[in-house]
Amino acid sequence: MAAPPPPPPDPQFVLRGTQSAVHALHFCGGAQGQGRPLLLSGSQRGLVHIWSLQTRRAVAILDGHRGQCVTWLQTLPQGHQLLSQGRDLKLCLWDLAEGRNTVVDSVHLESVGFCRGSILAGSQQHWTLAVPGRGSDEVQILEMPSKTSVCTLKPEADAKPGMPMCLELWQADSSPRPLLLAGYEDGSVALWDVSERKVCSRVACHTEPVIGLDFDSQKARGVSGSAEKALAVWSLDEQQALQVCGTHKLTNPGISDIKIRPDHKILATAGWDHRVRVFHWRTMKPLAVLAFHSASVHCVAFAPDGLLAAGSKDERISIWSLYPRT
Amino acid sequence: MAVFDTPEEAFGVLRPICVQLTKTQTVENVEQLQAQLQAVSDSALQQLQQYILFPLRFALKTPGPKRERLIQSVVECLTFVLSSTCVKEQELLRELFSELSACLYSPNSQKPATVSEELKLAVIQGLSTLMHSAYGDIVVTFYEPSMLPRLGFAVSLLLGLAEQEKSKQIKIAALKCLQVLLLQCECDDHPRSLDELEQKQLGDLFAAFLPGISTALTRVITGDFKQGHTIVVCSLKIFYRTVGFIMADEQLRRISTVQEKPAVEHQVAKLMVHREADWVKSTGDKLTILLKKIIEGVSVHPHWKVRLELVELVEVLLLKCTQSLVESAGPLLKALVGLLNDESPDVQARCHKVLRHFADQKVVVGNRAFADILAEHLHSLATSLPRLMNSQDDQGKFSTLSLLLGYLRLLGPKVNFVLNSVAHLQRLSKALIQVLELDVADIKIVEERRWNSDHLSTSPKTSASRPWSQIQRRYFRFFTDERVFLLLRQVCQLLGFYGNLYLLVDHFLELYHESVVYRKQAAMVLNELVVGAAGLEVENLHEKHIKTSPEELSEIVTSILEEYTSQENWHLVTCVEAEEMGEELTMQQSGLQAITSGSSTCQVTSFPAFSKPSPTICSMNSNIWQICIQLEGIGHFAHALGADFRLLLMSALYPVLEKAGDQTLLISQAATSAMMDICLACGYDSLQHLINQNSDYLVNGISLNLRHLSLHPHTPKVLEVMLRNSDASLLPLVADVVQDVLDTLDQFYDKRATSFVGVLHALLAALAQWFPDTGDLGQPQAQSVGEKGSHSSPRPAALEKGLEKSTTAEDIEQFLLNYLKEKDVADGNVSDFDNEEEEQSDPPTVDENDTVPDVEPPRPVQIQIAADVMERCIHLLSDKNLKIRLKVLEVLDLCVVVLQSHKNQLLPLAHRTWPSLVHRLTNDDPLAVLRAFKVLRTLGGKCGDFLRSRFCKDVLPKLAGSLVTQATVSARAGPVYSHTLAFKLQLAVLQGLGPLCEKLDLGEGDLNKVADACLIYLSAKQPVKLQEAARRVFLHLMKVDPDSTWFLLNELYCPEQLTPPHPSLHPVQLRGAVGQQNPYTANVLLLLQELQ
Repeated sequence: MAAPPPPPPDPQFVLRGTQSAVHALHFCGGAQGQGRPLLLSGSQRGLVHIWSLQTRRAVAILDGHRGQCVTWLQTLPQGHQLLSQGRDLKLCLWDLAEGRNTVVDSVHLESVGFCRGSILAGSQQHWTLAVPGRGSDEVQILEMPSKTSVCTLKPEADAKPGMPMCLELWQADSSPRPLLLAGYEDGSVALWDVSERKVCSRVACHTEPVIGLDFDSQKARGVSGSAEKALAVWSLDEQQALQVCGTHKLTNPGISDIKIRPDHKILATAGWDHRVRVFHWRTMKPLAVLAFHSASVHCVAFAPDGLLAAGSKDERISIWSLYPRT
Repeated sequence: MAVFDTPEEAFGVLRPICVQLTKTQTVENVEQLQAQLQAVSDSALQQLQQYILFPLRFALKTPGPKRERLIQSVVECLTFVLSSTCVKEQELLRELFSELSACLYSPNSQKPATVSEELKLAVIQGLSTLMHSAYGDIVVTFYEPSMLPRLGFAVSLLLGLAEQEKSKQIKIAALKCLQVLLLQCECDDHPRSLDELEQKQLGDLFAAFLPGISTALTRVITGDFKQGHTIVVCSLKIFYRTVGFIMADEQLRRISTVQEKPAVEHQVAKLMVHREADWVKSTGDKLTILLKKIIEGVSVHPHWKVRLELVELVEVLLLKCTQSLVESAGPLLKALVGLLNDESPDVQARCHKVLRHFADQKVVVGNRAFADILAEHLHSLATSLPRLMNSQDDQGKFSTLSLLLGYLRLLGPKVNFVLNSVAHLQRLSKALIQVLELDVADIKIVEERRWNSDHLSTSPKTSASRPWSQIQRRYFRFFTDERVFLLLRQVCQLLGFYGNLYLLVDHFLELYHESVVYRKQAAMVLNELVVGAAGLEVENLHEKHIKTSPEELSEIVTSILEEYTSQENWHLVTCVEAEEMGEELTMQQSGLQAITSGSSTCQVTSFPAFSKPSPTICSMNSNIWQICIQLEGIGHFAHALGADFRLLLMSALYPVLEKAGDQTLLISQAATSAMMDICLACGYDSLQHLINQNSDYLVNGISLNLRHLSLHPHTPKVLEVMLRNSDASLLPLVADVVQDVLDTLDQFYDKRATSFVGVLHALLAALAQWFPDTGDLGQPQAQSVGEKGSHSSPRPAALEKGLEKSTTAEDIEQFLLNYLKEKDVADGNVSDFDNEEEEQSDPPTVDENDTVPDVEPPRPVQIQIAADVMERCIHLLSDKNLKIRLKVLEVLDLCVVVLQSHKNQLLPLAHRTWPSLVHRLTNDDPLAVLRAFKVLRTLGGKCGDFLRSRFCKDVLPKLAGSLVTQATVSARAGPVYSHTLAFKLQLAVLQGLGPLCEKLDLGEGDLNKVADACLIYLSAKQPVKLQEAARRVFLHLMKVDPDSTWFLLNELYCPEQLTPPHPSLHPVQLRGAVGQQNPYTANVLLLLQELQ
């Protein structure tokens, strides 16, 4: 007797109760969760939910963006501190230690775009923050927590890449110079040398705006997604020049988020077609299509232990356990 | 009587008598002496002791034959003197002792002299009193080796008396005397305790008597039960006190290997015993034999005091003689353990106390030898357990298991020595599994059904008070006694408490996997193991024992839970309908598997041929029990983990709820009680609280399982149960999952509609119940809405008034005015006054809308849901399956109720539903017509105007037509007719037509149609119920249009000649002839009475 085909994969569980579309997800190591990490989700209505992955329930709800959509969540490496970016033009710094949840600091943003920020943690106290700047095509670099502006990265006048859509600050192992990858409205990805304030390299990956990108600094390779029907994989050579390695066709157009798993084995995309797609990072072989949501998926996130979370417009967050690392 | 306080006075009085007695020894003289002695104070007597004793001793010592009577009175007198004085001289004590013992000496035989019982008693008491009166130190010196022969004589004399005498009194006196003689007396007259050296010397001395004493006492103890319990109790006491003294580890430890030369002559020295190791060993062996005999005899002694004394014996010997009597430890412990479950509570309590004492003193655990012996016993018991469980009767099983339980208790953590041996663990588990086998032949288990699926929440309330430890009654194949089951549970709990839980759980899970035959039993054992491991209900005798930590326990529970709720162990075939439901191929496969494996149970258990339960039934029974046991296990786990179980709810609650909705009574009961346990353990007030608080977990499970409906066919049931048992706070989550349900339904219209329709029904019923504010609009207010719609609100009031009292001229005038006004309105000449009135009647409508709290610009969630569901109903109304159509009609009914206050949603949907509904009403199975008519009534009540023309056009002609044609059938039918469907249909239509006419406010022509169709049913030839229903139709018609109804009725039958109120008016002649009887007379009369 032929074995029946295995049923399509199911999420491990689903978190309900945000009561509005989920726009940002971030796993936070067990600073408070003791053992199991927490999941933070940001909703359209401006609330940040903190979910315990052990009880699968919200342990706290942060309200700091006056009902405006929360687009980006990020905890600082030393833990206890959370950054949330909202469309109310505010970036809040929360203190979450010992059950507190208060805004300790906030940065006023000057761009109403969809672009999420990015941080680069330097020493224990200092970290660098990249956020879209005042001018429509600018990226502002801030020294935190002092909030001093380091510089503003403005493309050359003739480039006209449009607004920055996504940012990724990183640092090569070999040099301490902070680098910034930015995806622009015109579909190009640019590599900025932050300290010299110049574009090292720029490559056109898409014909539509770049909506999400992620970069693997070990392999010096990155991937980006846009509103079109393809993913672009590009690499960085020793001369810090970006090159498109290839594009990968998708069944349906529209990627709203893209993440590489911390172990650099697989990557996941959040699709407008309600689906999460999983690819093998090295070969870009499609591995799985995770169909659960009933509306477009807005964001994906990987936990340090490999758990995948996807947040969608259908107000649910699905948690998946994929190809667990052995 | 005068009392002589000073020795001088007393001497003066006593002297003549003593002299007299010395000269002539007669009973009278002795008695006289004794009489005088009564008057002498103790202190005076003490001074004169020697003097008074002289004539008495002289009397005893005089050679030659003596009369017994005299000796007896002399001894009694002597006893009296001794009882009031004390003997201070060593020599006197010895001599008196010899003289007294000699009284019973017969030189010819070994036995005591054949003398009267009174004398024997007197002598025994004399000896006893003598030993009590010996003063302080001289007692100790009395027991010196040279006394050995004399003591020996006395001891054997007393033993002989105790053993052979017939009189109970003498026996007891002899035993008591022996007790005193061996310095084991319990009375307060011996203030001085012996130091170590003295103890050792005494021990050496008494050791010579040990063989004699122990054997003789054993004979007494094991003698006939009829000899009375006091004798046995006394003997037991002397036995263990003596043995405990002579064989005390403390004394023996100090015995040197070389015997020191006693300073006595050779003859006596030979009698002396040296208690060195060899002697101890051989004596111990011999005592073991005796002890075994004693235990064997006494542990079944009918009197509880005897058994209690046995417990004391065990305690003393095990505490004092651990090393010397090491061989006996086994039997002694066994005796103790066996008495743990004694029928007498005193014995039980004492046993427990002793065990606790042992544990405190670390008698067992602290002593390797003991632990080894116990472990060995447990080994051998485990080995023979399967055989014993097979062959013994309930009583035998009870005692065997008590023994097992006792061993486990005593061994405590050391039980692992036994469990670590694979062979023994297997033996033990085999025995448990074997004895726990359930009897699954009972057909009732499958039969019993939970018919009323709505009342899940009521059953737990009744069981809320019951303690969690109570469980469903089980029927076992190998025993019927509940106590045996209780013991088995305790055994498992103790194993869980002391044993290595990982090892045990692994082992039993393996058995659980191994075969269907073992599965239920293994699950029962696992349940109890966990309860035990949590330390619930276990009396811990070993304080140092560390319980399984909560983390470990919850880890273990998680794995067991996973096993229990896995697809192949949870979804078993429990009823025939289950197969019907499992239309999917996969389900049938698993069903078949369960059945075949189940039938193998029957083969293995080999039911006798005559009982003939079909294999399916017995396998289903077995499956039912398995599920019940697993459910009960979940309840146990909850209790074991307490609040920690909350974390497991996300995986456990869903399966339990699934079973709570099961059709089989036993399963749903078990599931409900499991939920109650969970409530208790996790601190929820009620089932509803539990479900509400954890609805997110449930919804998660439901929505994920809906994705694979073929694998999880019971998913809709969970939602159903959840909806039935929770409240409106659930709505946001429900809304989320309902979307999933509807999506899935859209995918599986043809295959799974049955289960979905059930869910939709539950959902709508829940909505209707959760939002009763809309439901309030239901019957009473809906009526008023209908009335308002008819623009005729004043009329019924007038009508009612008219019905109450006789019509007056003013009434007629008012009526006429009203009539004219309405005629105007009908003609379109609306006056201002009317407008005002209408405006006045409007506000209530506005108020009503205001009272509905959920009226917000966006549609409330429940309205959205109901609308979505109604949409599906439109399609499902034409399903091929009648059952589904019927259920859908019910759902539709509920949809209308929920949507009633949202006409904007309801009306378009009603419009779309209409064709399909009409089809049901006109062209379907009578059952469906019946239900459809009910929907029509509801719909008519909620949106009257909207339906009027449709009803008149599409439905009424058909209904009226069928009523007319059926009337001829029912008029001729016999009494059986009332049980037919046709009758029910007629009845329903008749019952429904009246209110419908009223609510829809039908026009005159349509009313006539209704009236014409119903008129036939006023005939007395029709069945009574139909007549009643028809009458009711007319009552409603009267409300709508009293005049035409009056007219119509009078046409049929006119009760009286109508005389015009004024001569100028024409007399009226109606068709119904006056006074002429016809079939309609009775009903028409009744109706006209109402109308008057």
